[in-house]
Amino acid sequence: MKKVVSLIILVVLALGTMQAQETKAPGFTPHSYYTFSWNTAFPLGDFHKWVSQPGPAGFDIGGRYLLRKGLFTGFNVSWQRVSEIYNAQTYTIPDKGIALTAENYRFTWMVPFQVVIGYHFIPDKLISPYVSLGIGGDYMEHHLLIQEYDIYKTYWDFSLTPEIGALVKFGAFSPVGAIIAFNYKWTTNHIDIYQTTSKDLQMLNLRIGITYMLR
Amino acid sequence: MKTKISLIALGLGLLFTLACTKYPPSTDRLLEDLAVLTQYDTKADFGSYKYYVVATSIKKITDKDTTDITNADAQTILGEISNQMKQRGYLPAPSGTKADLGLSVMYFQNTYVYTYSYNYWGYYYPYYPYYPYYPTYYTSYTAGMLLIEMQDLKNYNPTTQKVYIRWDAFIRGLMTGTHTNSDLVASVDQAFIQTPQIQASGK
Repeated sequence: MKKVVSLIILVVLALGTMQAQETKAPGFTPHSYYTFSWNTAFPLGDFHKWVSQPGPAGFDIGGRYLLRKGLFTGFNVSWQRVSEIYNAQTYTIPDKGIALTAENYRFTWMVPFQVVIGYHFIPDKLISPYVSLGIGGDYMEHHLLIQEYDIYKTYWDFSLTPEIGALVKFGAFSPVGAIIAFNYKWTTNHIDIYQTTSKDLQMLNLRIGITYMLR
Repeated sequence: MKTKISLIALGLGLLFTLACTKYPPSTDRLLEDLAVLTQYDTKADFGSYKYYVVATSIKKITDKDTTDITNADAQTILGEISNQMKQRGYLPAPSGTKADLGLSVMYFQNTYVYTYSYNYWGYYYPYYPYYPYYPTYYTSYTAGMLLIEMQDLKNYNPTTQKVYIRWDAFIRGLMTGTHTNSDLVASVDQAFIQTPQIQASGK
């Protein structure tokens, strides 16, 4: 995982440096842009104990509006699911002499909605690297499925998402481009189902998508 | 450019669709997944028993009737219960000796039938523009549960005719025709594994 993060940071910075050197290249700074991206989440820490596999089922919709120079503000709304099947897990209630072993399905689906502030280092270039910070809330549903039973809990909590990424225009004056971004999300959300307790759920997200820019 | 955008959008859509793997519906989970639930009497002294006896058949109880099963699956289950009891240090009651523990097995089977009826509004040109039709679908599944009961024959009270149950094991999903012989053995084993309290003295 560290290698992937390092590689993405390196690529983003290298591309930014290359672009910065092309001072005479034509281009435009978008007044606003909208993104639609496919998300893959990698649970970390306590969240990883609940579901250890990455969740490629997710998408994100975002909008950014230029404040001044490279400074943008906007929003992100996402939908994401992580899940895993456990073949045989045993739950016990010792004082009652009860034990239950069952194949179970665990999944969490979440809807983060955040206000974002970001800075594009070279917003008028073909490749525009940026850093941003998202602050907002996360709606999460944690499900434990055993046979026909679906035990679940829902929570609303706070979340914080620092992100690095880059917009790649398909042409110097093209309103359409691609987005690649990597972020770390920390939430105050928690899981408390049966004997599984996790708090301050964290994850890494990889976003790849398309963007539409307005001048 | 439009082609490029369409291809990217299509690619993202496909990736997202492929990523959204679904879990099997609850009826399939009930049919194929196994759940082993056990409960033992926390006041019982399992070390105080020595001899056991296992029933020679499984009592099958459906909503229509009750029958005895003695087929290969039944013999596998009954045999494995006996194996597990031996491994815990208990002895099969010799002929003419009263057993301390009796193990009986029951199997409950239910068939559920579901009816689905969708309401569609179709368009049949040149007929009346919006014509409702209601296709109906039927689906059914059979669910079963195996119950192993450990009866305390040592402390049987003939006056009150009460038999204390010292241990119950419910295995949901077994014997629905989707499980192998090793699944049957593994399920019985799991019931004992999660009850280490069942142990003869001196073992």
